[in-house]
Amino acid sequence: MKKIVEIALGIVTSVGGFLEIGSITTAAQAGADFSLQLIWAIVLGGLCIIFLVEQAGRFAAVSGRTIPDAIRERFGFKYFSVLYLTLVVVSLLVLAAEIGGVCIALELATGIGLQWWALPATFVIWLVIWKGTFGVIEKGVSMLGLVTVCFIVGALMIHPPWDQVLRGAVPSLPQHDSAHYWFIAVSILGASISPYLFFFYSSGAIEDEWRETHVGINRVIATSGMSFGSLISIAVLILAAMIFAPQGIKIEHYSQLPQLLVPVFGHKGFWLLVASLGIACMGAAMEITLQIAYLTAQGFGWNWSENQRPLDEARFSFVYTIVLLLAALIVLTGIDPLSVTIFSMVLTAATLPVAIVPFLFLMNDGRYVRSYRNGWLSNAVVILIIGLAFVLAMVSIPLQIFGGS
Amino acid sequence: MDLFRDCLDKELEDRNHRRMGRVDGLILEVEDGRPPRVAYVEVGVKTLLDRLSRRLGSAAARQLKKFGIDTEPYRIPWGKLHFGLNVVHADVEAEKTPALEWELWLRKKVIGRIPGA
Repeated sequence: MKKIVEIALGIVTSVGGFLEIGSITTAAQAGADFSLQLIWAIVLGGLCIIFLVEQAGRFAAVSGRTIPDAIRERFGFKYFSVLYLTLVVVSLLVLAAEIGGVCIALELATGIGLQWWALPATFVIWLVIWKGTFGVIEKGVSMLGLVTVCFIVGALMIHPPWDQVLRGAVPSLPQHDSAHYWFIAVSILGASISPYLFFFYSSGAIEDEWRETHVGINRVIATSGMSFGSLISIAVLILAAMIFAPQGIKIEHYSQLPQLLVPVFGHKGFWLLVASLGIACMGAAMEITLQIAYLTAQGFGWNWSENQRPLDEARFSFVYTIVLLLAALIVLTGIDPLSVTIFSMVLTAATLPVAIVPFLFLMNDGRYVRSYRNGWLSNAVVILIIGLAFVLAMVSIPLQIFGGS
Repeated sequence: MDLFRDCLDKELEDRNHRRMGRVDGLILEVEDGRPPRVAYVEVGVKTLLDRLSRRLGSAAARQLKKFGIDTEPYRIPWGKLHFGLNVVHADVEAEKTPALEWELWLRKKVIGRIPGA
């Protein structure tokens, strides 16, 4: 019974914590610009993240170490410093986008400009991390994040053509705007295969004191949680495809987002969108902030845990405080949150190889994972993901230039 | 022992199992007619940056010195170390060594002054 509760809770937190500003925006843009044709990108990204999250969780449960921690040990400081710098820069941008998402939700709710919310929203995020424990952030915020299931309800209520939905799950070539099509596909993959997701997951496994006995639970949670999470993204795409695409409306501003749910739920849809956007972005902002602090502490061998008092881990607490301040400053510059979101998703795709290549070595190193090494299937999938990551890294920046407008 | 695999970059724990950094560098002693011997391991930002580039390490040390921050690495004698599977245990008390100098400074001067710390 205890295991069932643990699995259920794990799935709920994975689902609730899955959606964030990147996945909402990229899925909505895909639906508006290319109708149901880009569902395959979410499916592909979902499959990749299932494998990577499962492996990150298995690694942590068996070795008691996180992936970044082992990367420093196994690959040395030079490799780690490249990983660290790229991840911190990209994560800072993604964090700014998430804080921007919270501010947009508050602007939609109150009519007060989003920049006015940058500091209060950042302060609330900091306060929850400062005072809260890992459980509060992981379970509390993710439970609230379940409000995002309203997108699935909406997608079902709008009665999409299911044959076309299934056809969209199979990759196909664009009929128009090729560069933009591939640009959106890369953005979706960048939003789905986000290194912060699987690095945070492995840190969470240590925070939750997972042991070898959690290997099975981890597999169920990673597979079900990420699958349901991807379903929510697909639901956002379906809604945009059914509502925006037929009218030829492009998503150029966040203020258009409520239109995803208003035609289905009426005025309640507006508030559902505001709540979904605000909570999902706030949860993601907390996870990313913590992930940067985890990455720093693990890489340099400091004490780290969100369950300790800030005083007992001064460097760890200092890092997340500074990171939040920097991200708030980015929002305060007045930069368009939609642009930051899309740019950071593309940048994430460009930096994927650095974060994913180590999986192949670590998940086959008996000193860490003992008899829980990757089988041929997992290794084959990781090699495919690495191949995909290199392709994404090479095409993402040119596509940003030629297809990003 | 393979020094790169079993020692360099491994996590360091003190005698109370408190994390105190990583093995950032190794100091070898070379005497005429004898094979080199590992005398110390080093913990410190300058040692780390030196591994990327000597020029970067020296430049960072100069800049930090202007703010009164000492970047001299902390050395632990080889004899005080015990090697676990993925961790190096040092027979020292971390809080009494320079390895936790920044941690203690931040605790006292910054984090400790914020309400609720």
